Order: sequence, then structure tokens, then C-alpha cells
Amino acid sequence: MNEQYLSIFIDESREYVQSLNESLLKLEKNPRDEETVNETFRILHTLKGMAGTMGFERMAKLTHRMEQLLDKVRSKKVALTSDLLDRLFAGVDMIDKMVNNVASGGNDQVNEEDLKSLMDAFEVVQEQKVEEQKVQSETKKESVDVEDSVMKVIHEASKEGYGAFKVKVTLAEGTIMKAVRMYMVFKAIEDSGGQVLSSVPPVEDIEQEKFDREVELVIIAKQDAESLHKMIASISEIERVTVTTIAKVQEKLKEEEKEREVKKEEVLEEAKIVEEKAQEQKISQKRRLVQTVRVDIDKLDTLMNLMGELVISRSRISDILRKYNIKEVDESLSQLNRITLDLQNVVMKIRMVPIAFVFNRFPRMVRDLAKQLSKEINFVIEGEDTELDRTFVEDIGEPLVHLLRNAIDHGIETKEERIAKGKPPVGTVVLSARHEGNNVVIEVKDDGRGIDRATVLKKAIEKGLISEAQAENLSDEKVYEFLFLPGFSTRSNATELSGRGVGMDVVKNVVESLNGTVKIESVKDRGTTVTIRLPLTLAIIQALLVTVNNHVYAIPIANIDSTLNVSANKIQKLQDKLVTVIRGEIIPLVKLWEVFGLNGHKEEQYYNTVIVRMGNRKYGLVVDSLIGQEDIVIKSLGKIFNDVRIFSGGAILGDGSIALILDVSNIV
Amino acid sequence: MAKRVLIVDDAAFMRMLLKDIITKAGYEVAGEAANGVEAVEKYKELKPDVVTMDITMPEMDGITAIKKIKEIDPNAKIIVCSAMGQQAMVIEAIQAGAKDFIVKPFQHSRVIEALQKLS
Repeated sequence: MNEQYLSIFIDESREYVQSLNESLLKLEKNPRDEETVNETFRILHTLKGMAGTMGFERMAKLTHRMEQLLDKVRSKKVALTSDLLDRLFAGVDMIDKMVNNVASGGNDQVNEEDLKSLMDAFEVVQEQKVEEQKVQSETKKESVDVEDSVMKVIHEASKEGYGAFKVKVTLAEGTIMKAVRMYMVFKAIEDSGGQVLSSVPPVEDIEQEKFDREVELVIIAKQDAESLHKMIASISEIERVTVTTIAKVQEKLKEEEKEREVKKEEVLEEAKIVEEKAQEQKISQKRRLVQTVRVDIDKLDTLMNLMGELVISRSRISDILRKYNIKEVDESLSQLNRITLDLQNVVMKIRMVPIAFVFNRFPRMVRDLAKQLSKEINFVIEGEDTELDRTFVEDIGEPLVHLLRNAIDHGIETKEERIAKGKPPVGTVVLSARHEGNNVVIEVKDDGRGIDRATVLKKAIEKGLISEAQAENLSDEKVYEFLFLPGFSTRSNATELSGRGVGMDVVKNVVESLNGTVKIESVKDRGTTVTIRLPLTLAIIQALLVTVNNHVYAIPIANIDSTLNVSANKIQKLQDKLVTVIRGEIIPLVKLWEVFGLNGHKEEQYYNTVIVRMGNRKYGLVVDSLIGQEDIVIKSLGKIFNDVRIFSGGAILGDGSIALILDVSNIV
Repeated sequence: MAKRVLIVDDAAFMRMLLKDIITKAGYEVAGEAANGVEAVEKYKELKPDVVTMDITMPEMDGITAIKKIKEIDPNAKIIVCSAMGQQAMVIEAIQAGAKDFIVKPFQHSRVIEALQKLS
């Protein structure tokens, strides 16, 4: 088949499925958002065209059905109910399934029965809703606008003894010459000294018979309502006449005014929505720009690698030139430096993608989960255009799913519970991202029940992790750290622990493998915030170069607290382990050559020590000498060394030598 | 006492048809006229309770006849008979003093309704 188009078909379809999910979520919030209805329609239409072209008939048929339905919504024949939205969501899921099947080398074949029942569901919806709508539109006709100018005339006329009336005339079915009949009504009123002030439909339309059977008039007359009624009813071919005196009309007017005000508010609200939409558009435009550049991920990685090589070569050349001290090349060398630096930045940026790629799928997930648990949740996403390295994008999704699930399932209370606590009935979950220095900070925040410190401690004591005496003095932060221990909490007691701990060890593992940190803060009954902190990129990091036995090693700056010169007599042994006391703090020391298994080290007077931080603990790494800080390009060690845990990779240095990068968390 | 009706129409067929409807409904047909001039004369002569008046007729059209009759008897009860598409004429007739109108082809019920409304 059209092999060459297949990949772009899959990519684009996936984008459209995502857009559909977004649009439907928007419609769920505001079903009258016509622009989004149009957009949804358009997307479905495009998908239909694409599927048809590729010969995926099931997909074309399904999208056609959905498109038809949206068209009915668009032309207001069908009301967009939540039930209908559910079915549309199911439809989108089905399209997604088809696309995935196509992507995995198949076609759009799905479970035929599922597909059929879905299609039938759309059919049923269509028929039902049309009828409901009909009834609505008929009742709508009831209302009549009485203009302010008319009210003025009524006011004036009342001084001269006129009464004001609203007259509703319904002509008999099959009336021929409706215009003339209505003329007779007008004439009768005028002959009796009355006056027609306004009519719906307007007189011009009545004259041209542009009305059905009903006409509403606002008139002034000297008779009372009863005789007016009698007079008009005596005219032939009039099925029904109702005469309401204007005092009553005025009351009705007031009601209508109120309605109008409500409408005004709605208009304002709509204006707000439009504004929001404008902003959304800005963001989506940004996103689209990113999306239009389709580059094979492998190519991007290669580019980054080459970039690294270039940086290394440059360093080597400048090293060599410095050795020979050739003045003439200095200028061109510094230019080369500048250009490579710029280039490096650009390549880095290309690797950066908005975190929206990760966040995009969450609104749908949150919606489904909330529905499933029958909780009402206001899900807020902030800073989705925050950029981060694309290597993170693939990995950070799963931990975030865990965190969001926890927040919704266990954090947010039931509506009743919330009301009882005096909290707003709708729970709020905020997923936000922002840059902070060289870090990307991602937060999952809920205003739920929070974590109960006592329960966590009880569990920790039960498991023998701490003694009761120790428990007293632990800081909250330390207490919550227990939650990250594998198997600390299981599903069955998850609720007891306010749900934190389900998969929290997974979260911690993933985040730490990305050189990041994770932290929990919680206030009882106020909510929980989980903060993930990631480095901006993994490809190039700042590192401190040190030597051990004349080999160069790199320690990521992100892990380093400080560097010290520790004199040998300050080093003590505590339970067979080397420690030293720095500013009253006991810090375990690790002699790196021992870790690396290098022999032939003599005892020295002073030890160069790099203090690294792991979570809240500090360790001292003892090295031979410190070289200095440098940007290094991380290279993987390759599959053969997969089980080497103490090194996270290698880097080629300016002089062409290799430095192994320490994975601090696995050394201490 | 049954209402007495004067039927004015240039077509004998229409007069016969109307006569049929009117008598079946229990009214009495006082007389017939084939044009406006005849209608005015018959009105003076018969003093009917109701007149059915065709619009397009030779000698004198229905509207002029209505005006003449109204001059003689301002309380005359006249029903205009019109063909479809003669709205303007019907309105003119009503302005001239006709109390109701019926449209050809006649529906029995409509004719009777018009007669009843004028009683």
C-alpha cells in the first residue's frame, strides 16, 4: 500500500486524536463553544479523508458517523449532552485503537462488535436528540420582546385613559389569506379606537404572510380585556385569542429583563472564554510550530553526538595551539569557540520539547478517572510550554501518572467529605512545570486530605524501620521519605496512608535515574504537593573533574555540596566506617580508589574531599586531586557495561582522554 | 327566524354552489344577483340579513357595490367572496365595509362560520 505515506498518516492521525481529546474536553466544560464544535467537526472530517485515502474503511466510516453527529450539533439539531460526549470520547478511543493497530503493522481492524455497538450508539443519539430539540424550539417561540420605546408610548397613553394589552392571536389551521385575516384583526382594533404598537412578527412580514399562525401584538385600547377578546374572537378563522393586560405584561417584562441579564452574564462569560481561547490559540500555535518540524529522533541524537565530538575537537585544537603559543590563530580560535558554543546551544534547543507533549494526555486521563471515582475535579495545567530535554519526555510520563492517580484516587476526598470539612466541593489538582535555574521543576499539587504523619510513622515502626523514640523527632520530610521505600505501602492499606506510597518507589527510581530529585510536602486536610526536580538536559552536564590514581573522573556538579581538604587526623572510624565531623555534622567518607579497586595508595596528610549530597544526606568522596569544572558531553558506556552501576557514562575531554562519570547515588 | 341571504356572483355555477351550502346550513336564500348593479337593486328590494359579494363582476364590481349598499344601509352585513391571490382587493373590500371574507374554492365550514359570525 501507500508505504511512503503510512508513517505520516500515523503521526498525523495521532496528533488529530490528541486534538480531538482536547476539543472534547473543552466542549465538556462549555458545550456551546461553537468554534470548538466546528474545530472538532473539521478534525473528524480531515481524519475521514485521510482514512479514506489510505483505504481504512472502518475508520473512515466511524469518523464519518461522528462527523455527521457533530454537524447536527453544529446546526443545533442535537444538544451536546454529557452522555453524547461520553460516546464521542469512546469514538475517539476507537479511532486511537485503529491508528495504533495501523502503526503496529496491521490495518484498522478492531473488534467488529465494539465498533458496531459504538456506531449504533451514535445512531440512537442522533434520532433521540432531534425530537427533544424540536420541542424546545417550539416553546422558545413563546417569548415576546417588548421594546423600551413601546413601553414609553404605553406609559403616555395610560394617562389618557388607554389600557395596554398584549394580544396573542392564533389563526385557524389552513387559513387562506392569513394577511387579510390579520388585517381584519388590526382593523377591528383600530376601528374600536385602539392602536397596535408593535407586533411579532413585524407588520411587513404579516403583510407578506411571512408568519406561521401566531401573531403577538402590543396594543392600547379603551376597552377592557374581555371585550377586546370578544371583539377579536368574533373574526372568522381565528382559533385562539389571549388578551393580557399590560400590568401583567410588565411583570412578565421584569422576568424577561432578568433573563436578559442572565444572558448578558452568559455573554460576558463567553467573552471570557473567547479570551481564554485566544490564549490557548497562542499556545497551540507555538506547539504547532514545534510539531511541523518532523525529524527522526535518531537523527537528532546523532546530531547531538556530532556536536559533542565537535566540542571535544575544538578543545583539543585549542589545547595544542596553546602549547605552541601561536598568536595568529588566537583570534580565529576564539571565534571558533563562540560559534561552537552557539551551535551547541541551538542543538540543545532542538532537543528541547515543550512539556505539553507529556501533559497533553493527562486531562483525558484525569477526566476518566474522576468520572470513574465519581469525584468532581478541577484539573489545572500550568506552564505546559516549559521546555525540557526530549529524553525526559519518554520517561517522566509514568511517574506523573502515578502521582496524578494518587492525588485523585486518595488525595481528593469525596464530595460529601469535602463539604463536611468546609472545603469547596470540587477538588483541585494542579500539574505545573517551570524552569528554575538549570532545573525543570514539575509539581503535582492537590487540595485533598493530605498525608497523616502519625499513620506513616506507625507503619514505619511496625516495619521496624525506626524506633518509637526516634519517630518523635523526625522531621515531616524524613517521615514522608518512608513512602518512597519499595513495598512500604501496598494497595490494601493505601487509603489508610492517604494513598501515598502506591508506586512512589517507582516515581523515585525513575526520577533519580534522570538525575532528578523528588520531594513530598503535605498538610493534613489542606493537600499534598509532590515536587520533581530534573536537570535541564542529560546530554551535556557540568561536572567537576577529579583524579584518582592519575585517572580523571567526573562528578556531576548537581550532586556536589562543597569541596574540602580534610586532614588525616580528623578522620575517625565509626562502626568500621570512615567518618569526619564537619561543622558538627558527621559525614561518612568514601575513598574512591577503594571503591574502584585501585591499589597502591599511600596514607597522606591531607585528603581532597568532595562532599556530595544525596537527598538530605551528605557523603565525602575522597580523591587525589581536583582539576576543575567543565562542560562534558555524556556518552553511554554501551550495553556491555550495563551492569556497571557506579558510572553513569563517559566523557571525552579536551586532550582526548576519557573521564568516567560517577553515578553518586550508587557509590555511597 | 332563519337568516335571509343575498347571493351576488356573475357565475351561475358559483351561485348554485353557494345556494346549496347556505340552504343546507339552514339559512334562507332571499335572492341572487349577477353583477353589482343588480346587487344594489336587490338589496334595496329584499333587505337581506347578509350579502355574499363576489369581487370581479361585469357592470359594477363588488367593491363599488359594497360602498353603494353601505350608503343605503350602514349596518349591512357583507361577506366578500374572493379568488386566491386577490388580497389587495379583499382588503379594499373590508375597508369599504365588508365584515368578513371567504375564499374560493369555498370550504363549506368556512362559509357557514362566516355566516354564523355575522349573526
